[in-house]
Amino acid sequence: MVPFLGNFFLWLSLFFVIFQFFISRKNNKLKFITIAVNGLLISSFVSFFLLMYVHIVSDFSVLNVFQNSHTTKPLLYKISGVWGNHEGSMLLWILVLTIFNYFIFKLYNKKNSTFVSKALETQAFVTTGFILFTILTSNPFERIIPTPENGLGFNPILQDPALVIHPPLLYIGYVGFSAAFSISIATLSLENGEKIPWHIYMKPFVLVAWTFLSIGIALGAVWAYYELGWGGWWFWDPVENASFMPWLLGTALLHSLIIVEKRKSLQAWVLLLSILAFLLSVVGTFLVRSGILTSVHTFALDPSRGIYILAFTALLGGYSLILFGTKSKKYFDNNYFTFFSKEGSILINNILMVVVCSTVFLGTIYPLLVEAFTNNKISVGEPYYNSTVIPIIIPAILVMGIGPILSWGKEDKSKTFKKIFPSILLTSIMTLFIFLIYQSYSAVGIAGVILSFWIISNNLVILFKKNTNLSSGMIVAHLGIGLLILGITGSSIWQEEKIIRMKIDSEIKIKKNNIIFKKIDEIVGPNYVALQGNFWVYDKKKNIITKLKPENRFYPITNNFTTEASIHTNLFRDLYIVLGEGNLNDGWVVRIYYNPLVIWIWIGALVIFLGGIISITSNLKKLKSLA
Amino acid sequence: MKKQLLILPSVFFLLILSIFFYLLTIDRNPSELPSTLLNKNVPKFETESLLKNEKFISSQEFGNETTLVNFFATWCKPCRDEHAYIQRFSNEKGIKVIGINYKDNPKKTIQWLKKLGNPYSNVAVDKNGRIAIDWGVYGIPETFIVNSKGVIKYRHVGPVTKKIYRKINLIIGENK
Repeated sequence: MVPFLGNFFLWLSLFFVIFQFFISRKNNKLKFITIAVNGLLISSFVSFFLLMYVHIVSDFSVLNVFQNSHTTKPLLYKISGVWGNHEGSMLLWILVLTIFNYFIFKLYNKKNSTFVSKALETQAFVTTGFILFTILTSNPFERIIPTPENGLGFNPILQDPALVIHPPLLYIGYVGFSAAFSISIATLSLENGEKIPWHIYMKPFVLVAWTFLSIGIALGAVWAYYELGWGGWWFWDPVENASFMPWLLGTALLHSLIIVEKRKSLQAWVLLLSILAFLLSVVGTFLVRSGILTSVHTFALDPSRGIYILAFTALLGGYSLILFGTKSKKYFDNNYFTFFSKEGSILINNILMVVVCSTVFLGTIYPLLVEAFTNNKISVGEPYYNSTVIPIIIPAILVMGIGPILSWGKEDKSKTFKKIFPSILLTSIMTLFIFLIYQSYSAVGIAGVILSFWIISNNLVILFKKNTNLSSGMIVAHLGIGLLILGITGSSIWQEEKIIRMKIDSEIKIKKNNIIFKKIDEIVGPNYVALQGNFWVYDKKKNIITKLKPENRFYPITNNFTTEASIHTNLFRDLYIVLGEGNLNDGWVVRIYYNPLVIWIWIGALVIFLGGIISITSNLKKLKSLA
Repeated sequence: MKKQLLILPSVFFLLILSIFFYLLTIDRNPSELPSTLLNKNVPKFETESLLKNEKFISSQEFGNETTLVNFFATWCKPCRDEHAYIQRFSNEKGIKVIGINYKDNPKKTIQWLKKLGNPYSNVAVDKNGRIAIDWGVYGIPETFIVNSKGVIKYRHVGPVTKKIYRKINLIIGENK
């Protein structure tokens, strides 16, 4: 009964969204639009929660539950199992689309009714595409007869707290760009001479998308770091890139919107960026779900799904970009910027972000291009990205440090030096300090540390100066970026790795720590059994610092093994131990990583998220004052 | 700015999508990774044999006839899925199949083969995954075709499915 109801509400949301599409074409029918928008929101909510319900009660008559769940699975992962698979995650995607649809509708008033109707029409079109896709190719409520006694279980590698909220946050990010997309289409469709403050409408959506995408990506990295046991947190996997590209464009978009607001420039550019950011999100979905690329994230290899999303993307992209090509003329202007000004610095960063995005895009699809034209197979990996992305990012970060303190229009060069002098001083001191601690010298390391303190000290200086009219959200977010760069530099440049075979009671030294392998135990978890190593870590003075307990888990239901790294974290470094295979006689293979400053990556990401939230609140206030 | 230039993004976008479309429709397999060992001799190695009471010496196993090499383990579920096809190679087609037992428990493996049937003429024990590294194995199961001169002609990553089963038979036919 419940799965039937879930399916019914999914179809009902299809009905409401088509209704919304047609009703908002002939605007001025506020009553009908209200019914459509609320109906869509409620029915997709109900449908989503009914799927969650059948997962929680383990109704194995539903194929989706049978394939991804098991009675012994902990409740938290029964819930996250809803979006831990292709079909269920599409339902979440739809739910988020309808939530944003609702917030676009909230912008509606007498003055902008035509404009908002057009945005709602576009949003309805996008949502229709995804609901149809779900119903036709990936219905999560599909049944199986006869009902199996138990499920196949859930991939244990996905049973991780970070992965419980990683997809929802990421989807808020991706789908948030759909709202910016719809507003952009509505703006392009405006008649000549119509005055609508579209950029003020667009900005909160872009901020929400960007903020949640940031924290979503960070949580993905957290998961990779803690769960995969490879000692790293970013691998330039195609799917990681698929989330990083919209983030880069989103960053450019966010900053360009400021120029639109203050200088009425770059309007056409913003419209294009907001279209591209969403298209890239959809292309990312396509790459993940069509099986066209091999990646750790690939869901299911079903070419019919691929063809559907591709056709839909072509329709969306073709329509929006041709609309841009024919209608954007009126948003061009001939304002020229001085290089040495706030808008100049934003513009430079803008260009650099787009260049990085194109580089990553090229690296991601290059193997596909080569295969299409020459039938050869190649793969593009870390060396490509490190040698292309880093040199472009460095000037961007330099500019980022100074940009916020420059003035609009023209800047007096001698004054600038006075402004940045404290930060230069602070940067030099902190850089020296770091090198005294780590005593490791490399060009990239030096550059990374200088850049991060350059950002941190500039923003601290602004923070302690009174009477600035700079947005506090921006300062906090920039500060977060500074901390993030510090963590990235530390953990990638100064990482130390040891892979050895250890017997019980043997000892190993890494940096200034002595690690003794004390014992190995068999333990039993809720749905797994595990071998747990016990490692005691001592410092130079033979004081015990911590006991690390990495595990080798076996999940009998899905019949796979996972490794659980054990990590000791402090502000300066992580000690990261992974237990490999082995036995009592020959000992166990143990991988030990000394990862400096990793925690600053997570702190940085959190601070960025906080900055985003502050900005969202202040922009919502701006929006309210408008109405 | 020239108006015609504004149409460029859409042209560029649709061009990329058509390449995606082409790749989706042609018969390709993203898990068919190129091997750097393609058209090279098999890496030499010596290890224990799982089934025989003697050493497994690669130079004695390869180079006489076309041989299929299958990396497998009892803990890997896809290996179990493809097992029926691996058996068809040796039982129906009479192809020599060598198994390489990757990071596994020998006792369990022997039981596993008793239960599911043994398609392998000999099984090399790769206890710590060293052999897999030499062969450039990405993740098990993986299957290689080695021709009668001991040269690797084909590599497949992931389980052998019906489609791959046919393909491997075709390639073996070509290399006979």
